[in-house]
Amino acid sequence: MTRPLPLYRRSLGESWRSLIGWSLGFLAALLLYVPLFSSIGGNPDMQALLDSLPPAMISALGYGAIATGAGYVSATFYGLMGFALSTIAAVAWSSAAIAGDEELGSLELTLAHGVTRTQVVLERSAAIITKLVWLNVLSVLVIFALNDSAGLGLEFGNLVAVGAALLGISVLIAMVGIAAGALTGRRGWATGAAAGVAVASYALNAVANQSTDLDWLHSWSPYAWAFHNAPLSDGADWGGLGLLYGVSAVLLATAVVALNKRDVGI
Amino acid sequence: MTLALETQALTKRYGRRLALDAVDLAVEPGTVFGVIGPNGAGKTTTMRLLLDIIRPTSGSARVLGQDPRQGGVELRRRIGFLPGELRLEGRVTGRALLKHYAEISGPVAPGVVDSLAQRLDLDLSRQVRKLSKGNKQKLGVVQAFMHQPDLLVLDEPTSGLDPLVQQEFLTMVREAKNNGQTVFLSSHVLSEIQQAADSVAILRAGRIVTVSDVDTLRATALRRVNATIADATADAVRTAFARDQHLAELTITAGDSLTIAGTLEGDIDPFVKAIAAFTVVDLRVEEPDLEESVLGLYAKESTDD
Repeated sequence: MTRPLPLYRRSLGESWRSLIGWSLGFLAALLLYVPLFSSIGGNPDMQALLDSLPPAMISALGYGAIATGAGYVSATFYGLMGFALSTIAAVAWSSAAIAGDEELGSLELTLAHGVTRTQVVLERSAAIITKLVWLNVLSVLVIFALNDSAGLGLEFGNLVAVGAALLGISVLIAMVGIAAGALTGRRGWATGAAAGVAVASYALNAVANQSTDLDWLHSWSPYAWAFHNAPLSDGADWGGLGLLYGVSAVLLATAVVALNKRDVGI
Repeated sequence: MTLALETQALTKRYGRRLALDAVDLAVEPGTVFGVIGPNGAGKTTTMRLLLDIIRPTSGSARVLGQDPRQGGVELRRRIGFLPGELRLEGRVTGRALLKHYAEISGPVAPGVVDSLAQRLDLDLSRQVRKLSKGNKQKLGVVQAFMHQPDLLVLDEPTSGLDPLVQQEFLTMVREAKNNGQTVFLSSHVLSEIQQAADSVAILRAGRIVTVSDVDTLRATALRRVNATIADATADAVRTAFARDQHLAELTITAGDSLTIAGTLEGDIDPFVKAIAAFTVVDLRVEEPDLEESVLGLYAKESTDD
């Protein structure tokens, strides 16, 4: 009679259409960039063009190693388009899950039923994480499928490692949105906090890339936790992954405590 | 016997604003208890406190014998709740949405959802977001009633429903009562409460002004009367109504025919008898809004203390 995880199933059931849209977006970004490696990243003319650009710009974009397949995919997809798309998805989903539902007035009705607030936070977060996992699995599989034809020379294990890194930063951004929503009940705050962390961590990383004097800034940027140690060429950065998922877990716990403590829908 | 619902000095403060001020309520099981009051009186606040959606600043509540905070999931499964500002969205059908709510409330007997939907004339196959406000309200009513909870907490349940459906809803409330279920409902429409409730609490600015049974309330209610009378003089009308102690603020406007207006407090019978002597072209007896009628009566009382 009672099937498990009713809120999780409902969250996924309501958003499958939008998930198809997001999947198409990721596909479009991947199919736009990845097959062009031989004509952009691996092209000597392109290298000459990059050499003529200001070094500060190259390091800010992370285009330093663009001549290799791993460097190219890291710089174009994981470091830029994939990160941007994942951030937008994480911000939108996480701000809607608690704060958005509360502002609509429907969270109140859900909480009046036989569910705990802890359950609401955990099941809805799990639904968001599931969708982010799907987008990353899709990306890894598509890139791996194009590996030979585009001449990328990527190792599958490293591809999984960079996928775990992008997933990690996306989950962290989503948990910022969940926690801010659980604390404030305001969608605007949840959106602002999640997007703010995403932008700040990207900017911090770009600044930190500028000189060795600023290198210490990397340790404060979740973006750097994910990508600074080049997981796609060098394999999993366990320290960085530990930070990403550890901080996400702390944020999730904060959200659970916060929502349990406060009045809803006022 | 345990009370179905009990509050003791229940108080809720939002910053400096006192939303609910030491409210004491006691609702016997198997009865229908109405709360009326203008917007902002504290009706919704009271209900949210009972469901543990918000927590009291001080005082306590017991719902079906349990503290709402401690009762948790098991307690809320025994309650059916209809929020005052029901906003249902989503591309799912009404049936799918109700299936979801059934999963997170008490067990729903087979066929109940369909029979409730049929009674309220609700199409369950349509997407929720495309439903009118009234149809969304019906969905809300169905989800509150479908698991036949021991306690129904209904905030302005008939808002947006057309009169026929309102009558059906009131029948459902009576049936729930006959089943031994307790109903706690709010309204700002006095007549609705009069039809449904055994007792009534009047709430104003976060305080209970009075708790009384419905008959007492009816006896003191104000009505506004308007009539058009042909073939009579103003003096004759004035004389005819002079003995009616219940009629006040009588105004008579002469024209092709006489238009009379006034307010009636309590017993309507003497007025009807008196007007029967004339040729009545038009007669309207209206219940003024709650603020004017009931609250007007108690306004003095509430400012005195």
